[in-house]
Amino acid sequence: MPNENAILSFEDLEIEFTLRGQVLRAIRSVCLDVYRGESLAIVGESGSGKSVFTKSAMGLLDANGAITGGHIWYEGKDLARYTTEKEWRAIRGKEIAMVMQDPMTSLNPLQTIGDQIAEAVRLHQDLKGGAAKAAAVEALAAVGIDEPERRYKQFPHEFSGGMRQRVVIAIAVACRPKVLICDEPTTALDVTIQAQILDLIKILQKKLDLTTIYITHDLGVVANVADRIAVMYAGDIVEVGKCEEVFYDPRHPYTWALLSSLPQLGVKGQALYSIQGTPPNLFHEVHGDAFAPRNPQALNIDFVERPPLFEVTPTHKARTWLLDPRAPKVEPPEHIRQLRQKGGYLHG
Amino acid sequence: MLKYIGKRLLRSLLTLFIIITIVFALLRLMPIEGYFQNFEKMTPTQIQVGLQQLGLTDPLPVQLLHFWQNAAQGDFGVSHKYRVGVDVVEIISGKIPLSLSIGMSALALALLLGLPLGILMARSTRTRWKIGDKLGTVFVVVIQAIPAAIYYIFIQFYCSQLPGFSMFVDAKQPLTWVLPVCSLALGNIAYYAMWLRRYMVDESNKDYVKLARAKGVPTSEISRKHVFRNAFVPLVQFIPTSVILTLMGSLYVESLYSIPGMGGLLVNAIQLQDNTLVQALVLLYAAISIIGLLVGDILMALLDPRITLGRKEGGR
Amino acid sequence: MAIFRIKDSKTQALANSLNKESARQFSQEELFQFAPYDPDAGERGGYSDYSYWRSTLRAFRKNRVAMFFLCVILATLLFTFLEPLIPYDREPNTIYYIEQEKINLFTRQPVLDEQGNPVVEVSRATDQRPGQEFWFGTNSIGQDLWSQIWSGTRNSLFIGFSVACVDALLGILMGVLWGYVRKLDFFFTELYNIFDNVPQTLIVMIISYVLRPGMGTMIFAMCLTSWLATARFIRNQVVIIRDRDYNLASRCLGTSTWRLITKNLLPYLVSIITMRMALAIPAAINNEVFITYIGLGVPLETPTLGNLVETGRKVMGEAALRYQLFIPVVILATITISFYIIGNAFADAADPKNHVN
Repeated sequence: MPNENAILSFEDLEIEFTLRGQVLRAIRSVCLDVYRGESLAIVGESGSGKSVFTKSAMGLLDANGAITGGHIWYEGKDLARYTTEKEWRAIRGKEIAMVMQDPMTSLNPLQTIGDQIAEAVRLHQDLKGGAAKAAAVEALAAVGIDEPERRYKQFPHEFSGGMRQRVVIAIAVACRPKVLICDEPTTALDVTIQAQILDLIKILQKKLDLTTIYITHDLGVVANVADRIAVMYAGDIVEVGKCEEVFYDPRHPYTWALLSSLPQLGVKGQALYSIQGTPPNLFHEVHGDAFAPRNPQALNIDFVERPPLFEVTPTHKARTWLLDPRAPKVEPPEHIRQLRQKGGYLHG
Repeated sequence: MLKYIGKRLLRSLLTLFIIITIVFALLRLMPIEGYFQNFEKMTPTQIQVGLQQLGLTDPLPVQLLHFWQNAAQGDFGVSHKYRVGVDVVEIISGKIPLSLSIGMSALALALLLGLPLGILMARSTRTRWKIGDKLGTVFVVVIQAIPAAIYYIFIQFYCSQLPGFSMFVDAKQPLTWVLPVCSLALGNIAYYAMWLRRYMVDESNKDYVKLARAKGVPTSEISRKHVFRNAFVPLVQFIPTSVILTLMGSLYVESLYSIPGMGGLLVNAIQLQDNTLVQALVLLYAAISIIGLLVGDILMALLDPRITLGRKEGGR
Repeated sequence: MAIFRIKDSKTQALANSLNKESARQFSQEELFQFAPYDPDAGERGGYSDYSYWRSTLRAFRKNRVAMFFLCVILATLLFTFLEPLIPYDREPNTIYYIEQEKINLFTRQPVLDEQGNPVVEVSRATDQRPGQEFWFGTNSIGQDLWSQIWSGTRNSLFIGFSVACVDALLGILMGVLWGYVRKLDFFFTELYNIFDNVPQTLIVMIISYVLRPGMGTMIFAMCLTSWLATARFIRNQVVIIRDRDYNLASRCLGTSTWRLITKNLLPYLVSIITMRMALAIPAAINNEVFITYIGLGVPLETPTLGNLVETGRKVMGEAALRYQLFIPVVILATITISFYIIGNAFADAADPKNHVN
């Protein structure tokens, strides 16, 4: 059973997709707790399954995808057993809401933004007619849009990208959810707008007592907003811990590689580190540690058996054989060691 | 918006002007028999006099000028073969209401049946075996791939044996109108169903539909309020094509069922080589096509808020 | 085709067996020793090396309906062109005479001589039903339908292919001019806007009306405006290659224009042109049938599918003579449906969005 502090708890979750007769294992037996009121960031490169993972908690998998094992616990209910649309509608929006990546396409181009917000208000706040409109205008004001009355009647194409993302957030928040999933909320935006949007989400989180889950490949975003980080690779969470634990004392070779490729850690005059190779093809069965073929310091066992989640501290876990007592001592790369010193994790 | 419509209207007029000029010039290349009722029996001098009377010996630009002057007054010449000496405008205008009502009922029928079929097919793509989609696709392929002329023949021949129907239209018996109208509508039914299905499938994969689902909007409401409405708007741009389909279909259907309309008249005029009548009818057909395009563009601009002044100017 | 599949499954099988063997070899200590690092291994695990044409072919091959119709049309085409080699010496336009019972034109009863036997005389072999003598029967003036139909199919396909080829050639040429020579842009755009308004059938009709009907007129009339649509499409592609971001990016990385054209533009272009050509053939046949009905078709001495359908239509009132309509219709429908399905399936297969793995 799930941890009692967790509002949302994934237990051995498995998700498979069927594409033209081939089975793709998108999520391979993943466990993760999301604690009430925290903000958790799920980090990984594109195609690692982070989006699919969170979408499964809202029943938004594409038609060819299905949960084939495990549980998703939400307030004592197992969402993984949900099948009908009626069951899901009690969750979607009302309990868990979502902000999607591309604000340019996530609004209906032929409806006024007011109508689109009011739609959410009517569904989840039990308001009708003028009251719904008033609530929608209020939501617009709450996300920092000037002249909400006038903007209410406008169409999405009359808004800039950042403004549209504010509207999308307004829609999500208008549902009064408990959990807010932000799927790459700033990827499609200008750098100058990104910080504003993140601040907005942070403010709303405090004000409305939300639990937020960020999905991102941008470690800069993570450092800004996250209490905890989960690192995802090839459909599996390889390392999870508090923000500073993962940043300053990473244990999984993939996390090392990911952090090493941060431009901020690069040395002037030297080529920026990049991870060799490509992620594995999930149509084929993955043996052992999925990252092993790209890891110069992989152990033999990495190709044979999947590592368990080793506990570094009670809050910090990693899925690598390097943490096994039998494993040889492997030093992380130079700049990761520097990070450790900065964070005071010298003896980690 | 008014400015856009005005611009668009002007452009259509210009197009019509050019097309009329081209058609007129083309028909000057015709053999001159088409201007006389009993060409074989005439002497060369008689022919010469006749041509001069018709103004056909003048240089082409002068002829064109005359033609325009007359056309502006609604005078498109007289028929030489079909009904000798009768003003073509008079011949044609008597036939327009009939053709118009048949064409309009066929278009209405196409919308009435084509849209539900498209929705049905799009819905069915999400079911396990997609039976509705597959059957619908077979229908669309058959109608689109086989020449309309052929299925018109078969419909006329086999369906007219059912009680109440007939091979030919009888103005007093409403049932006899069913076959020609249905035949005429078939092509457009397949056309609308195909595109509506495609647009609905496209739209339902878009992000805003996913967001609506994430909002908790019921599926039926999503497909009604978001998917169908958004898929319907681009369908407006097919109005011109379906007008053209109906126009060309009417040529065949009207003469098959002996309907005294414009379509049958054009076929008759061509077979009789009645130049003035052919010319006037071809111009009328071209004009209707151009109007169809104009209406489609204006409707599109009215329905889609993204199309603003001049942005979509210059063709589709 | 099978080559691709073999390659995929072989590498996979090899990888699997290697993994299993290595699993058996390790002892407990060895398990925690460093594995040899192969920098290429990381690349190998990834998604297949993508090739546009291979993926297009694979997607097309998976479409079973399209493959079926491809076989049908290849068989039909092959037969159409091999048919003259069959030892069945009947000319399409010759009127045949056979010995048959004399029929009284009014009573439609056999004429009898004094002994009560039917009178036999040599007369035109009209309306003979399909059989040993005439495989597809004869038409109402005594011509052999088998020869007429195959020769008609050849002629109709010739019209279709000619239109498709002219359409593609002229379309590419004018499209490239339209796209590259900026001064011509206005001219072509206006030309397109004007003729896009007029139904093609109407144009074909006028041209056939003004000129003397015949195969050449028919092809000319159909090609006259159809290339505009192809040219416009090519022009858009040319503009894209000039301005689209990914091509700009590619050029900034030092890609030569030639490589840009062959890698980014050509594959897409070739597939679209192939599709347009495949769809132009049924459209041409469709037009031909229509124009023939109006009475502006190819003269009867040249059999075409349109002519045959039209002749068949005139006698379909009599149940016994309906074979004269059915046989050409079946062949015509086979050809148009096959091309239509193949063209559309190819368009789907050529769309990179449908290239999964």
